[in-house]
Amino acid sequence: MTAARIALASLAIAVLAAVPWFGSDVLVQFGINALLLAVLAQGWNIIGGYAGYASFGNSVFYGLGSYGVAITMVQWELPFAFGLAFGVLMAVIFAFLLGLPVLRLKGHYFAIATLALAQVMIAIVSNVPLAGQNIGLVLPPLNNDPLFYELALGLLTAVTLTIFWLTRSRFGFGLIAIRENEEGAAVMGVNTTLYKVLAFALSGVFSALAGGIHAYWITFLDPESAFDISLNVKMIIMAVFGGPGTILGPVIGALTLSAVSELLSSEVTSVAGLFFGIVVVAAVVLMPRGLADIVRRFRKSGWRYFAENIKAHRI
Amino acid sequence: MPIGDGQNPLLKVGALGAGYGGMLMLRDISLEVRRAEIVALVGGNGAGKTTLLRALSRVIASTGSIEFDGRDLVPMTPDEAFGAGLVQVPEGRQLFDRMSVEDNLRMGAYRRGDQAAVSRDLDRMYAIFPRLSDRRQQIAGSMSGGEQQMCAMARGLMAAPKLLMIDEMSLGLAPVVVEQLMDVLAAIRGEGVAILLVEQDVHLALSACDRGYVLEAGQIVREGMAKELADDPAVRRAYLGI
Repeated sequence: MTAARIALASLAIAVLAAVPWFGSDVLVQFGINALLLAVLAQGWNIIGGYAGYASFGNSVFYGLGSYGVAITMVQWELPFAFGLAFGVLMAVIFAFLLGLPVLRLKGHYFAIATLALAQVMIAIVSNVPLAGQNIGLVLPPLNNDPLFYELALGLLTAVTLTIFWLTRSRFGFGLIAIRENEEGAAVMGVNTTLYKVLAFALSGVFSALAGGIHAYWITFLDPESAFDISLNVKMIIMAVFGGPGTILGPVIGALTLSAVSELLSSEVTSVAGLFFGIVVVAAVVLMPRGLADIVRRFRKSGWRYFAENIKAHRI
Repeated sequence: MPIGDGQNPLLKVGALGAGYGGMLMLRDISLEVRRAEIVALVGGNGAGKTTLLRALSRVIASTGSIEFDGRDLVPMTPDEAFGAGLVQVPEGRQLFDRMSVEDNLRMGAYRRGDQAAVSRDLDRMYAIFPRLSDRRQQIAGSMSGGEQQMCAMARGLMAAPKLLMIDEMSLGLAPVVVEQLMDVLAAIRGEGVAILLVEQDVHLALSACDRGYVLEAGQIVREGMAKELADDPAVRRAYLGI
């Protein structure tokens, strides 16, 4: 990374970090949501974008992170930081216990199995008294939006730096090898099982932290909203829209889509629901490799880029 | 005469047995590969050739002993065996289809730290496989079968192996391409790398190798110098009969 890029990245972070000082309350609240979604998209990027395993189980990590904070703060009356740690611990245990069997599946089968995990979690948590069963838990309120905003921004920076490290580490190359050809990776000496589970767990750590921050901010959670499968769909759409398997793609995808979706839902409420559907269709047909790929290839191909994609995938 | 006579063999397998889920596919396999030697492992469909390779690269468990380069391979995991210098070029090549040729080769060296040595090896690969040199930036999946096989072999060599195990090298390739690959084998041996060539095409394999083993129904039924095996009536009968 050149000095210019470091300077640019630092400037972007500084501007984002300054938002609570000059932005309105609405903007800060929108920012917290958008940043946390960006963290989730980046978390998914590790397992889905780099390792090539389209996980629908990341919302489970998010839910575990939320419940980690809620249980620790409400039931055990311990500080927030312990809650985050507990949530991360549960996510990592979950990633190892369920990653080992589930990551043996590939493609659609993996997606379906992880999708089922999220549904099962709702049923399980609804019956755990410690987690407030299906009534949920109410956390002690903390009216400090700027704090949550900075936490979310810090987390997004951390996950993005992790992915940056990934792109130049042996671990990251191993994941890319798994994505491109798992059998080929195995004969090249990549310990595929270990790498996949580690990627799943790493993805889970960040998703759980996002969930924990969100739970304390919203101060209420129940099983349905904590393990909401549509959240998982959202993070996939954002990561794929921005460019899976790239460092900044999912962040840009998440921030743009959040902004447009927010504008639509305040201006033309009736169309907002359709919005994500349209984005999925457009992204798959016109730019299956995301915004990052357009930036790279548009200069060469121009508008033909979209026609080429349509042709290449025969849709 | 095979090169490397009189030294300890590079690979020494004794009384190896292996199989899947309690079903024994291989029994009492003993074989040797010496340094910089080309050894053929031939046998028909279902003889257990690929199973033996999988046992050697520690993908499946096995009984018996496997000694490689003075180390005991049996307790190792697949990535440790790979690190020890036992590298497989799998059947069907298993390239990273959407990546360029050069990236595929670099992937082969992903465990190595010394970037200068990796760059040197990259140049050596392009010297051994001039065709790949012309296609450095081409997407691997878009090349012909022969070129892909070269790419897979070069990727294996980029891991700096001591023994390269090539599974079904000639599968699906035109005879003229196979002949080019055979010349390449000699070049690879010239670099000091031993080769275990697993082939269904008995004739081809025995014509290019120093020694050979014939595998049938999970057991080694014949072994010897390649030329002798090629003339062996039993081998001829077995393979012309099938």
